[in-house]
Amino acid sequence: MAITPLSSPFFNDKEQDNGKDAEYAVFLKGITKIFPNGTVANHDVTLGILKGEVHAILGENGAGKTTLMRIISGILKPDSGEILIDGKPVRIRDPMEASRLGIGMVHQHFTLIPEFTVRENIALVLATSGWLNLKKVDEKITSVSKSMGLEIDPDSKIESLPIGKRQQVEILRLLCQDVKILILDEPTSVLTPIEVDSFFRMIRDLKSSGKTIVLITHKMKEALQISDRITVLRAGRVIKTIPTSEANEALLASLVVEGMIPATVVRRGTPGAPVLRVESLRVSDDRGRPAVDGLSLVVRSGEIVGIAGVAGNGQKELVEAITGLRRVESGTVRLALHDITNKPTRFIIERGISYIPEDRLHRGVILTMGVHENLALKCIGKPPMSRKSVIDRGLVLRNAENLISRFSIKVPDPCTSVENLSGGNIQKLIVARELSNGGEVLIAEQPTAGLDIKASEAVHQELVALRSKGIGILLVSSDLDEIIKLSDRICVIFGGRIVGEFVPENLDIERLSRLMLGAE
Amino acid sequence: MTNQLVISRGTKRSIVRALLSVALTLVATSIIFLINNVNPFLAFIYMFQGAFGDINLLSETLIRMTPILIVSLGLAVSFKCKIWNIGAEGQLYIGAMLGTIVAIGIGGGPLALLAALVVGALGGLLWAAGPALMKVKLGINEVITTFLMNFVGIYLVQWMISYPFRSPDTLFPESAAIPSTSALAVILPRTRLHLGVVLALALVPVVYFLLERTTFGYKVKVVGESPEAARYGGIEVGRMIFVSLIFSGLLAGLAGITEVMGIQHRVRGSLSPGYGYTGIVVALLGQNNPLGVALASLFLAAIMNGSSTLAWTMNIPMGIVDLMQGLLFVFVLASEPLMRFLERRGVLKL
Ligand SMILES: Nc1ncnc2c1ncn2[C@@H]1O[C@H](COP(=O)(O)OP(=O)(O)OP(=O)(O)O)[C@@H](O)[C@H]1O
Ligand SMILES: [Mg+2]
Repeated sequence: MAITPLSSPFFNDKEQDNGKDAEYAVFLKGITKIFPNGTVANHDVTLGILKGEVHAILGENGAGKTTLMRIISGILKPDSGEILIDGKPVRIRDPMEASRLGIGMVHQHFTLIPEFTVRENIALVLATSGWLNLKKVDEKITSVSKSMGLEIDPDSKIESLPIGKRQQVEILRLLCQDVKILILDEPTSVLTPIEVDSFFRMIRDLKSSGKTIVLITHKMKEALQISDRITVLRAGRVIKTIPTSEANEALLASLVVEGMIPATVVRRGTPGAPVLRVESLRVSDDRGRPAVDGLSLVVRSGEIVGIAGVAGNGQKELVEAITGLRRVESGTVRLALHDITNKPTRFIIERGISYIPEDRLHRGVILTMGVHENLALKCIGKPPMSRKSVIDRGLVLRNAENLISRFSIKVPDPCTSVENLSGGNIQKLIVARELSNGGEVLIAEQPTAGLDIKASEAVHQELVALRSKGIGILLVSSDLDEIIKLSDRICVIFGGRIVGEFVPENLDIERLSRLMLGAE
Repeated sequence: MTNQLVISRGTKRSIVRALLSVALTLVATSIIFLINNVNPFLAFIYMFQGAFGDINLLSETLIRMTPILIVSLGLAVSFKCKIWNIGAEGQLYIGAMLGTIVAIGIGGGPLALLAALVVGALGGLLWAAGPALMKVKLGINEVITTFLMNFVGIYLVQWMISYPFRSPDTLFPESAAIPSTSALAVILPRTRLHLGVVLALALVPVVYFLLERTTFGYKVKVVGESPEAARYGGIEVGRMIFVSLIFSGLLAGLAGITEVMGIQHRVRGSLSPGYGYTGIVVALLGQNNPLGVALASLFLAAIMNGSSTLAWTMNIPMGIVDLMQGLLFVFVLASEPLMRFLERRGVLKL
């Protein structure tokens, strides 16, 4: 295919060499990927990744970042174009082949098996010969984690590890396969700033030990902080590749999205009467250990309460207890006048609690069902969506079309199954459904994780709009900037309790961080 | 809930998948024919003639299709919920037995027929309720319980027709005959084709409507595809599992009593040549889509009836039915990975 790249003034001449040059760890030449449903995910992408560099990839939701990386790691096949590894053209048939070539990928959504231990998860990918030599696996894990300075107990189960640690296990797993080129798809989207710091330390260590790293992110700051070069994708094409030293936030933002990003004007809310009242709540985690430990909390109408904390301090269990997905051991949850402690989820939804879950793939959507069916999940049981159990299919479709355009979800048609959507667009779908629910309380867990700057802004605006309509919002996020920007009150959670409360006007970031780490 | 006029990609894929399974079965059967010095083309032609050759043969095939279709429509619903009811055979026998007892007890007339159908269906439901409860309350795998309940059910019926409900006027263990006035009426003169086939075909749009247009069908699908998302969406997962399992029992029971009221007119040990198991293959081949299930059940019925012609024309043992059914089962299960392989290789573009 001889299609000249879009916006050639932006096009970087250096990349126009043929990539035979061995200084490139990976060189992509004219990669085009068209999905069976006609979506052009990558269009004539030419991109070189230099040996030993950290290369950041930026781009809107659905720009084709994940698709491109999946092509490099052998999961998808390009329709045309060529891949060169160390200057030699290769055909990467499957992920095994990629791994033999020294390429490994950490996916946008983790692929570790939660019920397995660290050792078992790693053994699973190392066992290529059919024989499982656990001793060898152990040796490998020890030697690799020692050289990286990672402290990971190979016997701990994945589900018991906080997100930051899981990330490390994902990377450890790649390193145990002797990967030279690491592809990381949005590794930081659910990490707290503290975790991001230690994650970046690890990236720098990897780089100094000679690894090549490709990193996808939506956060300009992070790209500027960690990378050597940055490539921006838009609508499946390379817009520009620039050295990080020549980039700044404004430039990157203008490359990533077309047009202006309207900045949210956040005025503080005018809180009314309490709508959600949690009192001395005790909840256990999956292994029966106390996760929420006598926590009390009030959310008033027209107020955003932000929960700041490092993942794994009871946020998940708190939210699940409120939404009826986890048993409350003691204490009460009240919604306006109703006691909703240990009530069925359906009851709680009907009383008006909307919920944007963090685990979007398993909890938030049904991957194999259509976008329109997913958007109707919470309202299909009520008129006008259904009457006497008979679904109004026209309305389901119209509702979907409305939400798709209102939240600019990128879908080929409203009936495609959700598994064909990009990560960010799945998130938009969930947000669209929950924000349009009505109700009195919204619980938003990582509402903008994986969203591009424009979409994040849009979600922030929607949240602020809901607040001015008098809805009480509980915002749980690892993104401190987001919490500080939106919240009327910030509660710090540690060890299953609220250990401190701030109003944004007189916020002491130092103290907040200390509280998050349980240092007070 | 896909757009009706355009055949969606998913539907197209399902059709190709089903055809692929059928084609592979025919090829594999041909090879076996060839090994045995039988001309496969001739064999399939005889088979076709045996199933559809004249009005009599055709109506026999439709008769055969009737219980298979009713059973597999029910199974389609539970399979959609990813609940594997392997116990339709037992549910079918229990339904047939209870319905027959009621029909004989009331003694003749359309009311007896109606009561028998209702009680028969409820009997199947009842037999599925046990495993359903165990699944929902105790988390016991329904594959094992429903399968084992087959033996309990079938032997229970054997005992009932051997002792308490044994017909006084025959030498064999079988129940008394139902009064002829309560039998399902013959709808085509000089054949055995009875009203049951109308009932079965009428159930196709009913189940289609249930699955595609009602909140029940929607919830069944969500629970089947992602129990976690279902819980999050406020769907009572346990209840949907329970209901979809007993629904498949309901139709299995109805299939059994329909077979009695339409064809056999009494319960015998040989009432069903494994319709409950055939239903599993049919539901899988029809991809749990009522229309697909209707076509698949006609296909299986044709194999069954065609084989008997084959048996006396070409001297091929009747075991060929089980062979083909088994092959079909294997290929239906293998078709999904096979399709993915072909798609990855770029052989198949959908
Ligand atoms: N399996 C698929 N079938 C059809 N279309 C797909 C499939 N996977 C992705 N797409 C489409 O390809 C486009 C690019 O998707 P991709 O996942 O690469 O985006 P992305 O840049 O990673 O976005 P995000 O930031 O949201 O993760 C999207 O429009 C998406 O809908
Ligand atoms: Mg992505």
